[in-house]
Amino acid sequence: MNPAPPAATGAQSLRTSLRILGWTGLGLIAVAVSLSDFLASAPPDAAAIGPLMLPPTEAFKFGTDILGRDMLSETLHGLSVTLRLAVPAALIALLFGTLFGSVAARTPVMVSLSLRWLLGILAALPALLLAILLIGLTARGWASLAAGLSAAPLGFVRSFDRASLQAHAVHTEYARATGISSATLLRRDLVYEFSGTLSTSAARALAAVTIILSTTSFLGFGAEPPHRDLGLMIAAAKTYYLHAWWTAAFPALTLMILILFARLAAGLDEGERP
Amino acid sequence: MRSRRLLDIKDLRVSRASTIELDGVSLTLDAGEALVILGDGSSGKDALLRIIGNFSDRGQEATGTIQFGDGEARPAHKRGRSNLRTTYLASARVAPLNPHVSVVSQLTRVVANGLGVPGSSASEDLRLALERLAPALPFAALSKKSGEMRDDELAWAMLAAAVAQTPDLLIADHAFSGLTPTAVAALAGALADAQKRQGFGLAYFAEALQTAAHLRCRTIVLRQGKVIEEGDFEKLAGGQSHAYTKTLFKALPRLSEVTALRGNSRGEPLLQVQGLDLSPRGKKPSSASDAISFELRRGAALALVGEEGSGRRALVRALLGLQRFARGRVVLDQVDMGILSAAMTSRLRRRIAFVTGSDAALDPRMTLWDTVDEPLRAHLHLPRDMIAGYRETALKRVGLASHAAGSVVATLSGFDKRRLQVARAIVSAPFLCVIDEPLRGLDAFAQSIMIELLTELRKQEGPAFLLITADMRVAQALADDAIIFKQGKLVERGPLAEIMRAPKDDETKKLLAAAAPSRGPEPPAAPATIAAKPASQQAPVSPDELDPPILLDEPIADESAVTESPG
Repeated sequence: MNPAPPAATGAQSLRTSLRILGWTGLGLIAVAVSLSDFLASAPPDAAAIGPLMLPPTEAFKFGTDILGRDMLSETLHGLSVTLRLAVPAALIALLFGTLFGSVAARTPVMVSLSLRWLLGILAALPALLLAILLIGLTARGWASLAAGLSAAPLGFVRSFDRASLQAHAVHTEYARATGISSATLLRRDLVYEFSGTLSTSAARALAAVTIILSTTSFLGFGAEPPHRDLGLMIAAAKTYYLHAWWTAAFPALTLMILILFARLAAGLDEGERP
Repeated sequence: MRSRRLLDIKDLRVSRASTIELDGVSLTLDAGEALVILGDGSSGKDALLRIIGNFSDRGQEATGTIQFGDGEARPAHKRGRSNLRTTYLASARVAPLNPHVSVVSQLTRVVANGLGVPGSSASEDLRLALERLAPALPFAALSKKSGEMRDDELAWAMLAAAVAQTPDLLIADHAFSGLTPTAVAALAGALADAQKRQGFGLAYFAEALQTAAHLRCRTIVLRQGKVIEEGDFEKLAGGQSHAYTKTLFKALPRLSEVTALRGNSRGEPLLQVQGLDLSPRGKKPSSASDAISFELRRGAALALVGEEGSGRRALVRALLGLQRFARGRVVLDQVDMGILSAAMTSRLRRRIAFVTGSDAALDPRMTLWDTVDEPLRAHLHLPRDMIAGYRETALKRVGLASHAAGSVVATLSGFDKRRLQVARAIVSAPFLCVIDEPLRGLDAFAQSIMIELLTELRKQEGPAFLLITADMRVAQALADDAIIFKQGKLVERGPLAEIMRAPKDDETKKLLAAAAPSRGPEPPAAPATIAAKPASQQAPVSPDELDPPILLDEPIADESAVTESPG
């Protein structure tokens, strides 16, 4: 019996719909960030815009904080700072993780095994601690690089293992038996494996590095005033959060939405969760 | 006295969306009777199988009536419990079992569910059924996982599980599809014996005639939802009234009564094998007289014929430099393979093409065009317009030119993948084409087309063929000479015409009988590779022990010697 081509299942259709929803959400966030200077009624870190610790009202929809800053404007600026840090970090994670993993799996056995061993150990460490260590070794200004590098090992391992499966697949053996070189087989991986899953990997990396960057900022190792990102805004609201919930809730909600859209865009794929 | 009626279908019409799958089909099946339902993918036999098997199908609209056993005739669209004990026998090739759980535990559960008995009792029933059907296959061998067993071993195990349930009705869904002729003959014989012994009704759904030829029972031919021909298989084989059935019977590769003598004598030598000894490392080398020597000339075609595990693929791997050999010399295209570096061997292999019965031979991620382009791009570095020209010609020749350029290999049918392999071979301009069970799992028409394509490939591009098969009909259709293997030994060799006219070895006779059931004695009712010893003495046989299922499907295991028998 000649098997018929596989049909798309309901689960696949649902996943595709969620991906579209995720990318649409990320697109809208990108628009909001690019227009943040117009959408925000106050410049970043502008104090005494309104009364101190005012709950959400018609005039100040997200309320104000202890310095009288407009929380809506601050949240928009914080989202902008977060993304400015997260996007390069995600690119670094993609480059040193997913892409490097694909290539490393095709290198000579000793090299590939050594790299897999080394990156496997790094992947076993909590990415957040790794990021803090890297920031400590460099500087706060290198937070993006630190977050990207700390998220990379999990991406590397994932990508390496997928590429290794392909390297030992039956079709690869047949290709080798007809003289197809390792370089051509690597091209196959890059064309079909890497590029085919690029959008998923990128969204997954964006979610991972956003969590890392926000947490490092929350702990005081990341962004610095006056360029406050969402993590730093939540950290600043720590002392009066119980009396003024809006000072932390809106930045946290915005951060959650950003990460949720990134995860949806990745097809709810787990991956490099720190 | 008439046997008990098991199945009575009247005026069955089945449609899905706007497509009519079955149109006014009526059929009956009595206890102890066997019925083969023959048809291609669009014949509607799958819809009929779902109706008979009582499988739910939401998208299906059915009219007509169906009556199981002594029950009431009910509308065909109504599903419900049948008063018959029905068992379903799937093909081993479609991987019906969980690969992570042992075969025995899964089949025991199937038998326990079917009989409504505890697992221990079901296990005993399964063991007894297996012992009766295939005494040479030890029950202990079923403790492996499905991926570790050969397809024919799995087919025996599943047949035993089906029979152990003492069914009233057994539905076989292309159950022996893709197996070697000898295995099909043995399995069909065992199934027919069990059916006579237990008196169950058998409905065997098939795409090709191979199993029907062994079962030799009432056969109905379906086409586009209608029964176009019905009758005893012997009668159908003797003369078909419908044009479609005639074409179906003609499409099958068959052994010719008269075969012209074609020698392995064209051109210069392409492959010279001298004193090759494939003894595994750590084992005693074969004696000098057991070593293999033969020659394959340019443009000639040599078939390596034998059952699974007979050592043919081990030989091919050694010839292509994919496996080291203990002793001997292989000269390919006037180059001694033994002295070449890995890089040089790889370079030499650029002009070798593969066409195999394995759908996994092509990268499932690649597109149709990329699959054909790759050898041209990787080996010849041709400009794009030239690559496009070669690709277009090759795809036209194999009938895939109308497919979208971006069609992904994973979404192609088995037949399309097979033709795509031929297209890739065409653009490679090979001097040697390794063809490994090229017709495996294809329907009759697809088999016929594949033979035409391969014959055309040889005619146009002129490569030598090294054919691996267990089917003498395929060997006869595609090769000039043959070497017959049995359990790691080379037992007979020579021009195919001569071998077929006067086979000397019992293995050759058995392979010929399996390929043409009407011409010779029925082969033994168990696979030859596991029938050498009584069951009590038989150690479990690893599928990789002699010959892995596909040339490169699995890691190369410790291979037994492939030796030519003395004299």
